[in-house]
Amino acid sequence: MKEKPINHAGAAATFIADKPHLDFHDARLWDMRQKRDAQMHVLPEWQELRSRASAIKEHALANLADYLEQFERNAKRNGIHVHWAADGTEHNRIVAEILAARGARTLIKSKSMVTEECDLRPYLAARGVTVTETDLGERIQQLDDQLPSHIVVPSVHKLTEDVARIFARHYGTDPDADDPHQLAEAQRLAARPVILHADAGMTGGNFFVAETGTFVVCTNEGNADLSATVPGVHIATIGIERVVPRMADLGVFIRLLSRSALGSPITQYTSHFRGPQDGGEMHVILVDNGRSARLGMDDFWTSLKCIRCGACMNTCPVYRRSGGLSYGAVYSGPIGAIIDPTFNERKYSTLPYASTLNGSCTNVCPVKINIHEQLFKWRQVLVEHHQMPFVKREIMHMAGKLMGQPKLYRAAIAGTETALGTLPRFALYNWLNPWGKNRELPEPVKETFHSWYRRNRPAAKPGQTDNAENTP
Amino acid sequence: MRMKIGLFVPCYIDAFYPGVGIATLELLERLGQDVTYPQEQTCCGQPMTNAGCVSDSAASEALFVRLFAGFDAIVMPSGSCTHHVRAHFDAIEQTDAVRHVRANTYELVEFLHDVLKVRDFPWAEFPHTVGLHNSCSSLRALRTASMSELGEPAFSKPMTLLSGVKGIRFATPARPDECCGFGGTFSVSEEAVSARMGLDKVRDHHQAGAEYIVSADSSCMMHQRGCAERAGVNIRFIHIAEILNGARQ
Amino acid sequence: MSARDTILATLRRNSPDPAAHPLPEPALLGESDASPERFTASLIPMGGTMLDRDPDETLDQAIARRFPQPGLMICSLVPEATGTVHIEDLPTPQAAEPVDVTIVRAAFGIAETGSIFLSESQLHLNAIAHLTQHMVVLLDPAQITANMHTAYLRPEFHTARYGVLMSGPSATADIQGVLIRGAQGVRSLTVCFASQ
Repeated sequence: MKEKPINHAGAAATFIADKPHLDFHDARLWDMRQKRDAQMHVLPEWQELRSRASAIKEHALANLADYLEQFERNAKRNGIHVHWAADGTEHNRIVAEILAARGARTLIKSKSMVTEECDLRPYLAARGVTVTETDLGERIQQLDDQLPSHIVVPSVHKLTEDVARIFARHYGTDPDADDPHQLAEAQRLAARPVILHADAGMTGGNFFVAETGTFVVCTNEGNADLSATVPGVHIATIGIERVVPRMADLGVFIRLLSRSALGSPITQYTSHFRGPQDGGEMHVILVDNGRSARLGMDDFWTSLKCIRCGACMNTCPVYRRSGGLSYGAVYSGPIGAIIDPTFNERKYSTLPYASTLNGSCTNVCPVKINIHEQLFKWRQVLVEHHQMPFVKREIMHMAGKLMGQPKLYRAAIAGTETALGTLPRFALYNWLNPWGKNRELPEPVKETFHSWYRRNRPAAKPGQTDNAENTP
Repeated sequence: MRMKIGLFVPCYIDAFYPGVGIATLELLERLGQDVTYPQEQTCCGQPMTNAGCVSDSAASEALFVRLFAGFDAIVMPSGSCTHHVRAHFDAIEQTDAVRHVRANTYELVEFLHDVLKVRDFPWAEFPHTVGLHNSCSSLRALRTASMSELGEPAFSKPMTLLSGVKGIRFATPARPDECCGFGGTFSVSEEAVSARMGLDKVRDHHQAGAEYIVSADSSCMMHQRGCAERAGVNIRFIHIAEILNGARQ
Repeated sequence: MSARDTILATLRRNSPDPAAHPLPEPALLGESDASPERFTASLIPMGGTMLDRDPDETLDQAIARRFPQPGLMICSLVPEATGTVHIEDLPTPQAAEPVDVTIVRAAFGIAETGSIFLSESQLHLNAIAHLTQHMVVLLDPAQITANMHTAYLRPEFHTARYGVLMSGPSATADIQGVLIRGAQGVRSLTVCFASQ
């Protein structure tokens, strides 16, 4: 059975109808964008950092197989177990096997978008492993059984009252709590014993370094380092595209990451893992899950440069007003709209249209991904692959034909010369009707410019096709 | 410098805002230019291409080239149409004529600012507080103003031109570069988001004290005007060509 | 074929032209000021605290001034302070969990961000850096490096198995955007300049 495309517009309309949530969501993310701008303004080298970050990433991607092998060699030498997963299922199986071999029944984990891609939690739950997210926002989303709505601030679409209700249900706290401090403290107190007695810990990885076999985790809450250092087993799941060649390259990325994401100069924790701690065990799972195929897509491979800062989401006027869950995908916002279709073209065929192509995302991207140009390009690919709804496709086809025939076109709008009668019939099909739901239509006018011109510039020849003969 | 100019008037301006086309024509004539409006013109092809239906733009683009290849410059009061001709005119074979058209098509503001280098509009007076709206095509594709995301030195071609108009004052909205949400077919396929963005945009200008929103793009203003009227936001709209041509309101 | 070989083969088949994407030389960009003043100015906005010692004050006295509550469990990992418990008596994370204050010396600091670097060489038990409620960090002003570019030239990144840059205390803004210092790791991070 064919999967239905995500109804982004419908979900966004629902989100917009809830004014308190909408207003907060827009203001909060816009504030993050403003803080990012402030950080940019204090670094005169900002644009050079972006250019270098982009060049390093493109180089790493163009030599990805070599760098992965180099990383593997060095990591193994340091005592890290390196695993390779072609897809989500394989990733989940590897995790389950590591846990089973040690009789581990409880896993604490920090935020990792790759594990969301792989849908790890239900897989492990079915095998008797209790998984506890330790990042506050991710934990809120886990308890509420929702995907993260933003790749950096997973529960940014929620208000304090929503969190209070969820925590009351699961932690027994006051359902009317209105102080975020009180709720964050409840999470700290609830998480501590779970962390202390967990059999294994899991993190993601923001970068890994081929030269040294190191992987790097950038976080703020301290939960990732707790998850990595308290249990004896640390499993890190990392997308294969996150490699940088040299330790010295990290400076460029660390300087850009949190400034772009949250507008802070650096995350509170920047943790470098180069080998297991005394008496401990360390595993890295390198996950492909479609990335190696994406590398071969001429127009889209540079989306693999993404460092998951979320700056494109924060600046996106559409994302801010539709909420991350409206994208119906692990990755939302502009970056989601260009990578989600590589996972499932039909299901995510609507997402490249959830954009005005305004280009702000491209400007804030710290690794210079041409996001809005890829959105534009994806639309062509989707049309070529017959993923555009039939009615819209037909409208475009009819419009294209009409626009090529001046006499027919003129006849279509010259019939009445007034008001909405000037709209060609195709424009009045149902598909265009939503215009008037929250907007007035343009006011009627007495005549078109075309008609005015003919009356007021009678000397002009009716058609200026002669000019074509003067082609230079 | 007298140039042979082909005037392109986008379909929605032709149908809904003829005054913008008239002001553009009159302004260019006032500046001593030889302006012709080829009467067979229809559309640049942008709506089809932006939807991903590139092949459906071929007929529009071929017609456009046939009508405009003979001019020194093609000028249009629209940033998004200019961007389409210049950057996305890819549905047809790239002949010399096509290349000529792509290289010599200008949005009105950049034509006045960069080519004719006009700075004074002594016939114009507009004693009102205006909020300037740059369409995303004008701002980020044509680069007629500095972009807040890049932290580059501030410049604004439309602001420079408007500064040559007597009595005009500028309001400073909180989010000057935020997209208004028109986005072509986006305005209907994502109706709720589009309308909300438009409402936020007109409120931002209104709260900044603007009596008018002025823009080089009528499509954005058609959408914004619709949002403002429905929500009862008391603000008026005027195309930059009308102010520069001496409109008194 | 194994997943590894399949992935590598696909990557090699799909790779963009490596010649078109050369690797730039490592960058040394930005402000090169490595002063303690710049470090302090960077640490404060990250939520960190500076502890200034009076000339005739011992480190123990200064810490007692910073944390006056009686009965705190204090673990010192530095010879300059005594503390109330030895790290040797905290062999596991579970044993270290009740520690209130941990005193440790950083290998180096970064002026650009107010970050301090800790590894297993300084911590002995890595988890204590995150289980302790508060942390006091001694930093030799001579061991401050200017920025992230210069920091990554430090040898510690090639030797430490676990190396963390801590920039102020743990923090979160996941509930309605309200910034909370003291999320799940340390509630406070105090830096005291102390030459070695």
